[in-house]
Amino acid sequence: MSQQCFRMKGTTLTSIVLDVLKFEPDEFEQQLATKIASAPQFFTRSSLILQINAAMSATEFELLVALCKKHQLQPMAVKGKVGALKATINDLGLSDISQSKSTDSQISPSEEGSTVTSTKESSESAEASGKPKIIDRPVRSGQQVYAQGGDLIIVAPVSEGAEILADGNIHVYGTMRGRALAGVKGDTQARIFCQQVEAELLSIAGRFVMQDTIQSQCWKQPAQAYLEDDTLVVSALV
Amino acid sequence: MAKIIVVTSGKGGVGKTTSSAAIATGLALQGHKTVVVDFDVGLRNLDLIMGCERRVVYDFVNVINKEATLNQALIKDKRTDGLFILPASQTRDKDALTMEGVQTVLDDLSKDFEFIICDSPAGIEQGAQMALYFADEAIVVTNPEVSSVRDSDRILGILQSKSMRAEQGKNVKEHLLLTRYNPDRVATAEMLSVADVEEILAVPLVGVIPESEAVLKASNQGAPVILDQESNAGQAYTDAVRRLLGETVEYRFIEAQKKGFFKRLLGGK
Repeated sequence: MSQQCFRMKGTTLTSIVLDVLKFEPDEFEQQLATKIASAPQFFTRSSLILQINAAMSATEFELLVALCKKHQLQPMAVKGKVGALKATINDLGLSDISQSKSTDSQISPSEEGSTVTSTKESSESAEASGKPKIIDRPVRSGQQVYAQGGDLIIVAPVSEGAEILADGNIHVYGTMRGRALAGVKGDTQARIFCQQVEAELLSIAGRFVMQDTIQSQCWKQPAQAYLEDDTLVVSALV
Repeated sequence: MAKIIVVTSGKGGVGKTTSSAAIATGLALQGHKTVVVDFDVGLRNLDLIMGCERRVVYDFVNVINKEATLNQALIKDKRTDGLFILPASQTRDKDALTMEGVQTVLDDLSKDFEFIICDSPAGIEQGAQMALYFADEAIVVTNPEVSSVRDSDRILGILQSKSMRAEQGKNVKEHLLLTRYNPDRVATAEMLSVADVEEILAVPLVGVIPESEAVLKASNQGAPVILDQESNAGQAYTDAVRRLLGETVEYRFIEAQKKGFFKRLLGGK
């Protein structure tokens, strides 16, 4: 069997979009030159997506591409009001990406409504999994509270023998006497914040310290726990 | 509609039955028609403390099983007007109580009484859960020592998760009753202070009952200690009942008394 010659992979890259608001060749070139002069290192040979907002003729479009190339920019794709320019785009070896989903922030007014809705939807679905859980009653001995997918905020004391867990951070505004386990699904960036630490156990992403260790550090003080080089550190909050 | 108050603790021997008897009597003395129900099936004690053991014919379980009517089982207290006792069965165990049966009995009692005091058995199992399930309020009896405090904490957790009100998303109003409190031993750090217990449990205090010889004496005589108004404990229970009814009463018997020269000389208490 012969060796594989290539692999097809998906990738995303950040590129510059040249949003053409108005095309008057002379004026355009002058402004383009000024812009590039402001950061020549950044713009030289950068690949470019042309966003066409107003209908333009094939000649105008060819001139636009030529001007870009003249100023060391490399147009690679075109989107927006492509319409009659499709053949020209093809001839110039560019891609027409007017059909692909727009993800940039500059949107025309007509599209605004729909985009706003979609943003809202995505933030709502993010909330469903990442919304913090707030508990304002004491967590008693033998009780267990788990905040799935987000932070746990407790505005009451946590008793000895109680266990509080979160996929994210844990905040306890009250005396923390029980066990607190943050980042239980392995988030090493998670932290535990306590107004007064008297905990039996503090744990982040599987690493933990017991009461004896905490007692020698910031017992009965406001404190936070976090991971530093895979070691759980408990330090007083100033 | 009666107010159902459970007297509970988790731990045994802290004074649940003594407190149930005293508080029920105190409420009746204040003019509120009260019934005290013994949920400790199989370890019946309330009737002894209330001094009505010889008058028990039918009990709670008989009523649940429809072997007797509620009026046949209710015992009218001879000392205090407006006070009734529903005794537990001594020959059965806690499985004899069914949720529907208990609810029916409490519903019937609600029609006639202002307060229903449920004397819970110790532990956190079915018997204790049955006693607290229908409660509107809870008096958590705690001794000033760590194991009792932890058990009280546990029962408070169960109250707020497994009671009917909790299932309906409502709160059970909690009261902390500290019993067998000895200010002298608190002063020498042998015992947790009122402030320590309040801080750990985060429950509003309703009373502090000093450790007193009068309690044991009252139990053996079968008269609730609240009737002994000469004793500190009796007075402290009266204060607790008044607080339960919404009054603001200053706390007594929580500071260590300085013994006078003659008292020390004579070894008085």
